[in-house]
Amino acid sequence: MESVFQLLAALAVVVGTTFSALGILGVLRMPDVYTRLHATGKIGVFGAVLLLVAAILVLPKGAGKGIVLIFFLLLAGPVTAHSLSSAAYRIGIPFAKPMRNDLAAVTETFDADEQAEPQRKA
Amino acid sequence: MQPWMVLVLWLVYLALSANFELRNVVLGLLIAGGITALVHPAPYRIEPQRVPAAVWAAVRYVFVVAKDVLEGGLQVARLTLDPKLPIHPAIIAIPSGTESEMATALSAHAITLSPGAMVMEIGDHGAMYTHTLDVTVPDEVYFEMQARRRDLLMEIASEP
Repeated sequence: MESVFQLLAALAVVVGTTFSALGILGVLRMPDVYTRLHATGKIGVFGAVLLLVAAILVLPKGAGKGIVLIFFLLLAGPVTAHSLSSAAYRIGIPFAKPMRNDLAAVTETFDADEQAEPQRKA
Repeated sequence: MQPWMVLVLWLVYLALSANFELRNVVLGLLIAGGITALVHPAPYRIEPQRVPAAVWAAVRYVFVVAKDVLEGGLQVARLTLDPKLPIHPAIIAIPSGTESEMATALSAHAITLSPGAMVMEIGDHGAMYTHTLDVTVPDEVYFEMQARRRDLLMEIASEP
């Protein structure tokens, strides 16, 4: 039984590390902040969680802590991605390529305010 | 006093400390009670006969979200490894299909959790403005996934 857990833990480490590496590759390859955030999300969801799963399998005594940590990681990860992308959009960081944007229609007035702001300062 | 709140906090404390000595168990209960008394959480009515159905819906919800997360993860991995980097980003509006703020927030959480989609803003009536990596996926796919999530969330919250 012990060795089965060890094997599963090793598998989780390999898969988790692979996804983390892919996430970093994604950050390097993606063209703008919004697409990069997709790549980093993968590190949080797969990389860190799978490493914690491996830790739980090797040290079942700390399973409680591990599960709570996984829960908080899964809870907080999307919130950071959302707030970073939302903040990037609000301060007007452009997209790499022109694209369909359903949000533009509802934030037109908001954009106008943003554009007025630097003019006032200048 | 919210007995449910005390129970949940107590269990979280025990899970975190992983120590079931009587001293620690009692200490956890005191801490849980103290926090509940200080924070005054808003009362949430729980109908005991609805609990089994809600728990079952919650379990199904976890599996539905896990499946979306896995599919999204593999999709983004494929996109990242493709030498041509065939991404077609766009921001699409996904209606949450509910006026409940909690259900909308949890839906947005599930969407953002799955790689390849990320909610950027929440507009009026629960419109979720989602940045997606692959706009070639038809909107209906996202709408269907959202409808499934919404139904389960409503079942969990015991709302019709």
